[in-house]
Amino acid sequence: MEAILCGGGILLVVVLIIFFYLLNTARKRVTETTSFGKKQLLPVYISLADKPTSIIQGFNKLRYDVQKTEKAGDKWRWVPMLIFFAGIALMLIDGILLLLGYLSYIFSIGGVALWIAAIVMARGLRKSDSYDFSARYNGTRDILYTLRDDLRPGTTYLGHLDLTGSLLPTKVARSANDAQGRTTEYFRDEWLALKAKLYDGNILRVSGIQKSKKRKSYWKRSRISGKMKSKPEKFKGTAHDLKVRIVANPEVYKVAKTSPEFKQGLNIGKFTISQLNTEGGMISFVANSPFEEVEYENILQVLKSAYTLLQRKAA
Amino acid sequence: MSRKVIPFVVAFVLICLVMAVSALFAFSGLAKAEKFGSDVAWSQRYDTAESMKVINLMGDDQDELFIQNTQNVTIFDGSGNTLFSKEYQYPKTTLGDINNDSREDIVVFYLGDLGYSVDVIDNGQVTTIAESLSVGLPARVAVLRFTSGPQIVLGDTGGGLQSLSLSGQPLWSYSVGGEEIRGLDDARINGEVHLAAASHDGSVVVLDEDGQAVWETDQESLRRMRAFDFNSDGNSEILTGGEFGAFVAYSATDGTQLYTQGMGQAVSEIREVELNGEPSSREFVVGGKDGGVWAYSFQNGVVDQMWTGSLSDKVNEISGIDVDGDGAEEAVLGDDSGVVAVFTGDGTRNNLANHSTGITRIDVGRLNGERYVVIADYNDVQVNKVIFNSIPGFQYMPLIVGVIVSAVILIIAGILASIPQKPALKVSFQDKSKESLEAERRMLKESIADVERLRKSGEVTGDAYLARLKRLRGDLAENETAFKAAGFPIKVETIQCPNCGGTLELGMDKCEYCGQVLLS
Repeated sequence: MEAILCGGGILLVVVLIIFFYLLNTARKRVTETTSFGKKQLLPVYISLADKPTSIIQGFNKLRYDVQKTEKAGDKWRWVPMLIFFAGIALMLIDGILLLLGYLSYIFSIGGVALWIAAIVMARGLRKSDSYDFSARYNGTRDILYTLRDDLRPGTTYLGHLDLTGSLLPTKVARSANDAQGRTTEYFRDEWLALKAKLYDGNILRVSGIQKSKKRKSYWKRSRISGKMKSKPEKFKGTAHDLKVRIVANPEVYKVAKTSPEFKQGLNIGKFTISQLNTEGGMISFVANSPFEEVEYENILQVLKSAYTLLQRKAA
Repeated sequence: MSRKVIPFVVAFVLICLVMAVSALFAFSGLAKAEKFGSDVAWSQRYDTAESMKVINLMGDDQDELFIQNTQNVTIFDGSGNTLFSKEYQYPKTTLGDINNDSREDIVVFYLGDLGYSVDVIDNGQVTTIAESLSVGLPARVAVLRFTSGPQIVLGDTGGGLQSLSLSGQPLWSYSVGGEEIRGLDDARINGEVHLAAASHDGSVVVLDEDGQAVWETDQESLRRMRAFDFNSDGNSEILTGGEFGAFVAYSATDGTQLYTQGMGQAVSEIREVELNGEPSSREFVVGGKDGGVWAYSFQNGVVDQMWTGSLSDKVNEISGIDVDGDGAEEAVLGDDSGVVAVFTGDGTRNNLANHSTGITRIDVGRLNGERYVVIADYNDVQVNKVIFNSIPGFQYMPLIVGVIVSAVILIIAGILASIPQKPALKVSFQDKSKESLEAERRMLKESIADVERLRKSGEVTGDAYLARLKRLRGDLAENETAFKAAGFPIKVETIQCPNCGGTLELGMDKCEYCGQVLLS
């Protein structure tokens, strides 16, 4: 009797696991989060070496293709669940036969086969699911769109958009140990690199860099119980650097040392100008932001302000 | 192969597999919907039956039900009316034609007023043929038709054997160990009848008609012994079941062990049942004290286990009946908790109605022209009509289930093939003009120089430096490929590591990513 109860219990748990797995497939995927509670986003890496129109079209096409795959899967989301219930219906035939006194297992085997088929289909449908695009994806597209008319005719944007994640092991710039032997990792994620020759002969280089800090998990002996306890990894914060270099066309511009609209320590949107160098006919500056996300308007605003340092030479 | 075709190829393979398994189930007879039931024809109060047989004892050309317990011998007619009943002390009975009228008589070995006695009951008439015998408390009795003539052999609880002539004269005696006789059966050697006897202490002996031992052996304490001539060669096989699970088959000729197996529990019953309907092989079923059931086949001197099963308590009785009329018998087993189960030839168990107390005896036979299964438990004796039902055509049901599963697999393949491939998430928007490619090349080289500068300044170290460098060099290699594809001249500056595939600058003699030495 105990064996039957135990076996029945295990069977029930397996059936419930399958049921909820298929139910989760049937419902639209809930946004997943990372271990730090951050939203999982689609890991995209785009190399930029093309004309603005082609790049914008490429951005739109990629989004369309991802959504098309997702929508195609969405149509059939309930099918695995229906197959699961069809499996139950088959098994019920064996149940009815059992009630009539006949011992049959053929329909149950068929039911289990349908369940396996449902799981395979659910896995196939889940593969068509995608995470949401990062806001940076749209933001970068908007920056490129905004600057499209400022680009020298016949030239292309160059650079990359790396949205694969800011806390990847390959993005650990350095690590340091504190007095207690705990390791803190410093991440440097250059998610945007953009170079463009502009219509006025200037060359613009923009880098969006997200700097993050994370303390790795470690073992610590409890002061009360004396047991070793594992402490989870901890996200210690993040900040944004916007590194910009504008090589001015000496035939058109001369570079001013400062301007009321652009000087060191000035706050522009979410950014603060932390370093500014105007030597050698070029403007190099670093703008910091303590925010994790900076909108594209802020970046364009900083670029626009930086242009106030350029004074057009008299014709 | 197109990704739209692959799901259908996989589906085709799976469908073939499913249909093959379905066909296997359908045509091997594994799939069947059968049930066994029983209707009680009549029932009589009769407790703790020790011996029971459906047989013609009254000379009316009709079988009667003979039954015996620890204090009574009774004969019921086909409708359950008592034809004969007599009280005895410690009776043990056997059936045999004592008076040569071609009809079995009941031989009763019991404790009478004048000591241990033997009665013969013929057609309801009781004749005492022996009294005041010097034997112990009755344990077994058998009638053996030796070459020289029939003898009645009495076995007692002290291991003693006493042979009597049909008129009750003592012929010879023998002692088999010192405990109760647990088996008394006729065994043939070269076609001649011998006596096989075994006692509880494990002694097994084969005696000739003069009470001389042909051979004798010892084994572990013994619960059951039966003799069969499985291959009809005139030499019997003696099967014993031990108190501690030893199941042994001896050759009646010389006592050599033909087969031995540990059953893991005491062997409580052994019976021959024609399970497969194949006359060239003989089958027997063994029941265990903890409910174990084993079926064996004996063919060409080799014992093979056919299947195993189980009941919930000690197997008290095993009998064979061809319930479904297919020429093969089903084994009907009763256990000590009152469960009666029918095991088919492949070991499938079907329960009949449970009894409220343990089953003591089961026999099969014709009463009033109808075939019945007679079941005796600790309280009653029940005559049952066993009913067999099956759903016609059910054996082809696996094919229908296979078609359903195959259809679902095909639908799934169609759906999965209709979903477009997920786009690559590492993409490159690249203009193929020479100027654009050159500009990109410059940008990549500047970026590589930036990474080198960051490393020197200590801003980026270790893996992050290498990962970034690897990606940029990879982009540089792609740029070179684009140059070549467009037919523009290009001075190649990158090579691929033959070990890890990472892109390196031309001239490097060691891979920065995996440490591979490069010979270029």
